[in-house]
Amino acid sequence: MQGCPLGINIPGFIRNLREGDVGRAYEVIREQNLFPSICGRVCSAPCEVSCILTDEGSPIGIRALERYCSDNGRSRSSRKDKIYRKGKKIAVVGSGPSGMSAAAQLAQKGYQVTIFESLDAPGGVLRYGIPEFRIPKKILDFEINEIRNLGVDIQTNFFIGQNASLEDLFEQGFVAVLLATGAGTPKFVDLPGSNLGGVYYGEEFLMRVNLIKSTLFSRTTPNFVLGQRIAVIGSGNTALDCARAAKRFGRDVTLIFRRTEDDMRTRRDERDFAKEEGVEFEPLVKPIEILADQNNFVDGLKCVRMDFAESSKDQWELARVPDSEFVLEADTVIIAVGHIPNFLKSMDANNQLNLSSDGTIEVDPKTSQTSIPKVFASGNVVTNAGPIVEAIAGGKQVAERMDRYLKR
Amino acid sequence: MNFKVTNKLTLANNTKRLDILAPAIAKKVKPGQFVSIVIGEGDERIPLTVIDQDLKKGTITIIFKEAGDSTKKLGELSINDDIQTILGPLGRPSTIEKVGRIVCITSGIGTAQILPICRALKNVGNKVVGIVGARTRRSMMVEAQMRLTCDKLFCTTEDGSYERKGVVTDVLTEVLERNEVNLIYCIGSAEMMEAVSQMSRDKKIKTIVHLNPIMVDCMGMCGSCRVKVDGKYVLGCIDGPEFDGHLVDFKDYKIRLNAFEETEEWRKHRLQPKTKTNETKTFKRFLSGILRN
Repeated sequence: MQGCPLGINIPGFIRNLREGDVGRAYEVIREQNLFPSICGRVCSAPCEVSCILTDEGSPIGIRALERYCSDNGRSRSSRKDKIYRKGKKIAVVGSGPSGMSAAAQLAQKGYQVTIFESLDAPGGVLRYGIPEFRIPKKILDFEINEIRNLGVDIQTNFFIGQNASLEDLFEQGFVAVLLATGAGTPKFVDLPGSNLGGVYYGEEFLMRVNLIKSTLFSRTTPNFVLGQRIAVIGSGNTALDCARAAKRFGRDVTLIFRRTEDDMRTRRDERDFAKEEGVEFEPLVKPIEILADQNNFVDGLKCVRMDFAESSKDQWELARVPDSEFVLEADTVIIAVGHIPNFLKSMDANNQLNLSSDGTIEVDPKTSQTSIPKVFASGNVVTNAGPIVEAIAGGKQVAERMDRYLKR
Repeated sequence: MNFKVTNKLTLANNTKRLDILAPAIAKKVKPGQFVSIVIGEGDERIPLTVIDQDLKKGTITIIFKEAGDSTKKLGELSINDDIQTILGPLGRPSTIEKVGRIVCITSGIGTAQILPICRALKNVGNKVVGIVGARTRRSMMVEAQMRLTCDKLFCTTEDGSYERKGVVTDVLTEVLERNEVNLIYCIGSAEMMEAVSQMSRDKKIKTIVHLNPIMVDCMGMCGSCRVKVDGKYVLGCIDGPEFDGHLVDFKDYKIRLNAFEETEEWRKHRLQPKTKTNETKTFKRFLSGILRN
């Protein structure tokens, strides 16, 4: 129970499940977590690491149980009418996991919350970053509808910074603003040839995939240039998502990463899914150059093998294996090696927002306040990287802090 | 919010002008900024520069060339049709200052993009010299508006069917020889902008280029519009679309533009999705595809 950042009563809901009461188990989860069906699918499951059965073998599949509860226990608690709130007005910028959980918490406390989303549908990374096979759009729409029913107003197609500035929001009568814009801008790598045709960054690729209208005929034909042999660079969840999405177009996919397979920052079962689908894994390989053909398109990926070498006194470090350069056949390269926070400078005209060197917002660790009064921040725009469950937990935390600040 | 097409004109071959009802954008937009348009559910986002705005009617004007599938679909819209979303204004507005004599040099579709900037530059008291290039007389657009805006306008066509034959850079050499120029503003193809930047670098005249890289979400989240400026990758949608012409790496920019031009070889890839085992699709697999939807 200590393992969950959201503090779900895990023994409680499992007990309910054992008694066969799925609906009550779902309610127990929903007391703490407002997105059970999303967490049940994409959570990194820190609870399973701290499960007492981990030492004795394999832990209880808490994530799978949560997913089962959310899929089957729903009918009892849903179908409520929309509530109209009449409290103080709060603006939330960004409708990703962190912004939505904060908005839901604040709405439950009686505030009148408005979410501003710049794309044409709410969801943020859940809609445009994670492909359909991991979070079906139907389930996401259901969860968003639940939040709307709590009395949260979602304004899509509204880009804070261009359509309105932070000062405009305060003029409109909002008493506090929460910045939950997330980290989705790709980190540009210093790889020669990264400007060639057929090189995509992971975020761009997933956004293009998610924007394709999913019909029977268009599902297997991408509307952008995609080669037959695809190399995906990276070892995180984004890289795995890219590889699996590319595999669904019927291409040969190779996943290249610098570490060993056990060091990957993904869950083991996600890796097993990818392997089962036919994604080839190439551990301990470092790309050094993307080769170009005469049309300035990708013609191959020059790589070098890495291995552990003793650097000094029992310290093992990754180093290049000498004379191990080889060219991997590929005509599309997807780079998914990390991201930086989204652009924020257009938001404050007077340069009042304190940003640290890597682009994240500096916040007071105790109150989550930024350098501008009445402006808070949460989610990946503060932490730069982290699993979705941490962002949801961050949103929950900041909602309580905002409540405390406004009641003062 | 619903966005409605209020007026439509065909300016030249494949080039169309649309007036779209969008009062919130019309109030805010400044010269040089663009909007991103999604026509229907699941379509690509198209970034297009706002040419003009009408505050009374609440409309914005866009001019575009039908090049890909999405712009063709936009060109097929008729008056009173709805557009799903228009997000904007995006990008940085142009810096409009009084500097003296300014040369605005464009070719092709860039002529439409430079018109609002010319107007703004003229309004603050600059002397504006326009140089407009086109392929033929028929593909010359917004010439009348440019003539009204600029103090002097030179027109060139590649085949000599209108005014003088040649390319815009020839005229620029003559203008630079005769007059003292304080600023060059340049919108057009990558080759043209590179040539102009090269010419002005020798004479040490500040040059601003207006880049149109390929974008996906237009908000700085995908990195598709990355351009190399001063040895560093920056995002065209957020730091741009205006850049100092002397710092832009045009070789890199050309490769990025070329990256989405599908060659015949690539089109073949796209039409024949093959699995590794090359097994044919059986009826069962086809059925499972239907049932999954």
